[in-house]
Amino acid sequence: MNYNDLTRAYFESDASAGELTGPGVFRGAAGNHAQGTWVQFDLQLTAGMVSAAKFLAFGCPHTIAVAAWLAEQAVGGQVVPQLPESVQALRDRFAVPVEKMGRLLIIEDAWLAAVIPALTIARAPT
Amino acid sequence: MPVYLDHAATTPVDVRVAARMADILRSETEYGNPASSSHGYGDVAGALVESARTQVAAAVGASAAEVIFTSGATEANNLAIFGISHYYRERGRHIVTARTEHKAVLDPCRELERRGWKVSYLVPDKEGLLDPAQVAAALRPETVLVSLMHVNNEIGVVQNIAAIGAICARHGGAWLHVDAAQSVGKCPVHFASLGADLMSLSAHKVYGPKGVGALVISQRGDSGGRGRVQLTALQFGGGQERALRAGTLATHQVVGMGLAFEIAAQISSVETARVAHLQQRLWQGLAALGGVLRNGSATRSVPHLLNVSFEGVEGESLVAAIRRQVAVSTGSACTSALAEPSYVLRALGRSERLSESSLRFGLGRSTSEADIDVAIATLTREVGRLRKVAGAMPAA
Repeated sequence: MNYNDLTRAYFESDASAGELTGPGVFRGAAGNHAQGTWVQFDLQLTAGMVSAAKFLAFGCPHTIAVAAWLAEQAVGGQVVPQLPESVQALRDRFAVPVEKMGRLLIIEDAWLAAVIPALTIARAPT
Repeated sequence: MPVYLDHAATTPVDVRVAARMADILRSETEYGNPASSSHGYGDVAGALVESARTQVAAAVGASAAEVIFTSGATEANNLAIFGISHYYRERGRHIVTARTEHKAVLDPCRELERRGWKVSYLVPDKEGLLDPAQVAAALRPETVLVSLMHVNNEIGVVQNIAAIGAICARHGGAWLHVDAAQSVGKCPVHFASLGADLMSLSAHKVYGPKGVGALVISQRGDSGGRGRVQLTALQFGGGQERALRAGTLATHQVVGMGLAFEIAAQISSVETARVAHLQQRLWQGLAALGGVLRNGSATRSVPHLLNVSFEGVEGESLVAAIRRQVAVSTGSACTSALAEPSYVLRALGRSERLSESSLRFGLGRSTSEADIDVAIATLTREVGRLRKVAGAMPAA
């Protein structure tokens, strides 16, 4: 299979791979290893902003690349209840074959599983 | 270019073979139609073809008269399966094969099923080996063909063909076809001793050219009173190759196959010992990674193939991660953007995930210790990286 340059670059870089622990860290995961795709995001919030983000991914190069890109893009941004880009836009950006759309939806599920609790805390009255 | 460790898929053409083929293509006297008997040009080409036939036969313990040239092992398999099934269709309509056969055998069998034939698919043990007793148990009065490979193309295990041949001979009605495309040059092949009635061969697996192979068809009589094996031809047109495979032979291709087989027979034992050392080095290097499983029997296999599964990595990512450094085959077949796990490894009981995360290393004449070390270093680095990205795997 051929991959575009962006996919290959983020697939080959593991700079954002790993886990975060400690206060202000929110974790979300989706998928499962037995089915071939599993993704986890850890987001650390500081004053309502994402101060650090890490991912783990078991899956194809597209899955790893998109998860890595999302983790990188998240740092410094505000927490919002959606992906930084739509699934369709991610598909175009990384040239993901249509047969793999389900994997992008797993990534979205993992992302929202981390973001929504973080958003709840961030918006909670102090 | 990456290190080439996919010799089970195909081999580079031996320089001596390529040179001889080029000589023929450039020759002003060797371009005749080998079937033309009315002039010297045809005689020269015909003699070249017959010389190649003798070389191929000698390399596999057959007589020259038993060798029919084809376009490759796939055509040879089709000729054997459809040729036998059509000729003996009134005797019975049952075939025995195995789940781990090459598609060039399985697909013809499935086509026969669509035409109303019954096919028994034997399941090997977890090491990929068939017990000859399984063949005996599968035979029926109406069985006309048993088609089993000698050396498996994915895992390299060697089946006990001689024992299976004896069982088929005792049965009296089942002819034995053996796909030996992966055998020549890797292990001893002696057509008569194996007890096979038909045997498929390929040139490009043996450092010969692509586009040529052979079907060896026994001419010996059968002690069970069956007489000689008979086939119905699949293509017609000129009566070439004992009227079993019509069409003008490509002299340069056939000569290339003959020389390739002669060379293979000459160096097989020395080369196999050298490759066995390299395979051991590769296996030890990969096993040191941990979570690496060997697929297929380690003791009843050719050393030229090593098939391993890597725990904790996804198959497509594994291939993408190493493809710039190492050229190998995967345990999956990409029919679209989504890969299908190897049916051979699934038949051995491997899970879908482990089947997909497997690699087949095909070692050959050009493989050096340095190549093996590149493969080990690449796999060590990339499997480690992918496992780190994947995090801890849940318990199975």
